[in-house]
Amino acid sequence: MPRLKRVLIANRGEIAVRVIRTLRELDIVSIAIFSEPDRAALHVLLADEAYPIGPGPSSESYLNLERVIETARRVRADAVHPGYGFFAESETFVRACAAEGITFIGPRPETIAALGDKLAARAAALRAGVPVIPGSDGPVATLDEARAVANTIGYPLMLKAAAGGGGKGMRIVGSEKELTAAWELTRGEARAAFGDDRVYIERAIMRPRHVEAQIIAGADGHVHFLGERECSVQRRHQKLLEETPSPAFDAKTRAAFGEAACRVAREVGYLNAGTVEFILDEQNRFYFLEVNTRLQVEHPVTEMVTGLDLVAEQMRVAEGEPLSFGETPPEPRGWAMEARIIAEDPSTNFIPSAGRIDRVRFPQGPGVRNDAGVYRGYEIPVYYDSLLAKLVVWGQDREQARRRMARALSEYVLEGIRQNIAFHRWLVGHPAFAAGDLSTRFLEEHFTPAALEPDRDDTRVAILAAALHAREERLQIVVPEWSPERARSRWKWSDRRRGSAKSARR
Amino acid sequence: MKLWVTLEGREAEVEFRTEGGQLWLEMEGERLQADFTRLPDGEVFSLLVEGRSHEVRVSPGNGRLDVTLNGMSFPVEVRHPLEKALQRVRHDQAASGEETILAPMPGLVVALRVKTGERVEAGQAIVVVEAMKMQNELTCRAGGVVEDVLVAERASVASGQALVRILAEAP
Repeated sequence: MPRLKRVLIANRGEIAVRVIRTLRELDIVSIAIFSEPDRAALHVLLADEAYPIGPGPSSESYLNLERVIETARRVRADAVHPGYGFFAESETFVRACAAEGITFIGPRPETIAALGDKLAARAAALRAGVPVIPGSDGPVATLDEARAVANTIGYPLMLKAAAGGGGKGMRIVGSEKELTAAWELTRGEARAAFGDDRVYIERAIMRPRHVEAQIIAGADGHVHFLGERECSVQRRHQKLLEETPSPAFDAKTRAAFGEAACRVAREVGYLNAGTVEFILDEQNRFYFLEVNTRLQVEHPVTEMVTGLDLVAEQMRVAEGEPLSFGETPPEPRGWAMEARIIAEDPSTNFIPSAGRIDRVRFPQGPGVRNDAGVYRGYEIPVYYDSLLAKLVVWGQDREQARRRMARALSEYVLEGIRQNIAFHRWLVGHPAFAAGDLSTRFLEEHFTPAALEPDRDDTRVAILAAALHAREERLQIVVPEWSPERARSRWKWSDRRRGSAKSARR
Repeated sequence: MKLWVTLEGREAEVEFRTEGGQLWLEMEGERLQADFTRLPDGEVFSLLVEGRSHEVRVSPGNGRLDVTLNGMSFPVEVRHPLEKALQRVRHDQAASGEETILAPMPGLVVALRVKTGERVEAGQAIVVVEAMKMQNELTCRAGGVVEDVLVAERASVASGQALVRILAEAP
């Protein structure tokens, strides 16, 4: 396979920027695509070349398959990196690339298709001897059958609509008494919501942890485990903060976990980087959930502890080259955490916020990495994901990483839009987080918007600042005589005049 | 110099004094040494209170200031002692059947929001007066009918000058 020379990134935002950086380090021409509102986006500025692909809505630009493929062909890209989201897990897109002789940097299309079907993925895990959450093997037809399944797996259990997902169409059942009523309700809801009343049963895990395995399968077919990531801190099934290693794992669990993830990948003939997701129960037993056939948002924490560049490794696999580390992946060193900086308001039910970044200063210093897609003056388009940046830190151990994260968050300035930096500061300072006592219910158990309310010291500082500001403005109006000091700072005057003209127009 | 500052219900009186080249603030019985310096960013200031370092952003907004601190944004109102006194006067008037909207400070009438004979509700904006680079929207305390508009737009007004008279409706 020839060396790749021109790679088109079929994505935007921080992940496009992330991929461009590696391409530039590898002396590969990086080609960005952009929608109309993304003309001034950071990925366009940093790429070697950039081409327009249509209007703002994703369906007319980044998800316009014909347009993206046509652009890749026209600009003579010899490969496409999909990032995450958009076409990253689209079998159709991968096949369209192949039809044009363009290399897709990722798994084979048949693997993507097979793992996209959750029941097929679960079947693959079972064939590979990897535990799945105990439950009915497929839909349950009658209440009697449901009772029988319930008796073998025990209570509490979960009734799940076969067509459901994202937290919808699920009901927890605590005892056999509750089962009869819950059975009819769940089926009725499933019929109403999805037009499909098939329901299956799983053991309910009340305080699950979400832990995933980073794997990479080389061109030679060898699958390697690059460590786990714990992503339990979530809201509405979206991850907020990830770390590696998992505080729940000991060496023995980790070895068994990595081996299980690799068995699933081998079972489906996996190629390139991927993530095998698992659920951990309260006894730290792991159960297969699904495979994400792409680079994950949270891949930087794995890079921080392994020293690997996962995008560079993906390029090697796509070129048919051996992985950089040969047979044995590097031993992970230390601890890494990633905080997702999102344009949303944690104090108002995490509603997204659009607007202009009018001030930004990224944290710096030892062990800090910023993967950001924004800069000062950048207007956040309303069409796309609200993830603005990722703050990643490394420490020798979890406590150092946690303190470093808290320190970096306190340095972070990002103004003009609502964002969740204060939320992350609360999170990493919480005793349960510090103790590593995590579950996907962390926010339900610990978070209320009141946690982010300012204390009296904050309001006192704000009051003093406002008073000092008002005093400064008034003093300068009352005493307009010329003085050398005033002449030096004439810009203040023009600045204020501009400000007042603006407010008069309003 | 003294200012009244209101932040989400917390009302404080801040008094300034310069002594030996140092700035002192008095607030809620505390006497604090402060230093306030504008950063090259324009709207951002370094505030030192008794040596404690704070980075704050103060953005003039719609008749108030928005203060950003540690990623939190606070709407803050700053008023002169005179404004405060006048507000009290207006309060008293509200009960008497007639309400007069007064200029809280010397300034310029930027906008008149009502006409003579117009029916107004309690809290409705009546007139906007700009002073000291701040726009102040003056509202009526009680509803009624606009009896008289005593000034025109763009007129300069003195502190305490009557702007609009409102007659309360018979209950």
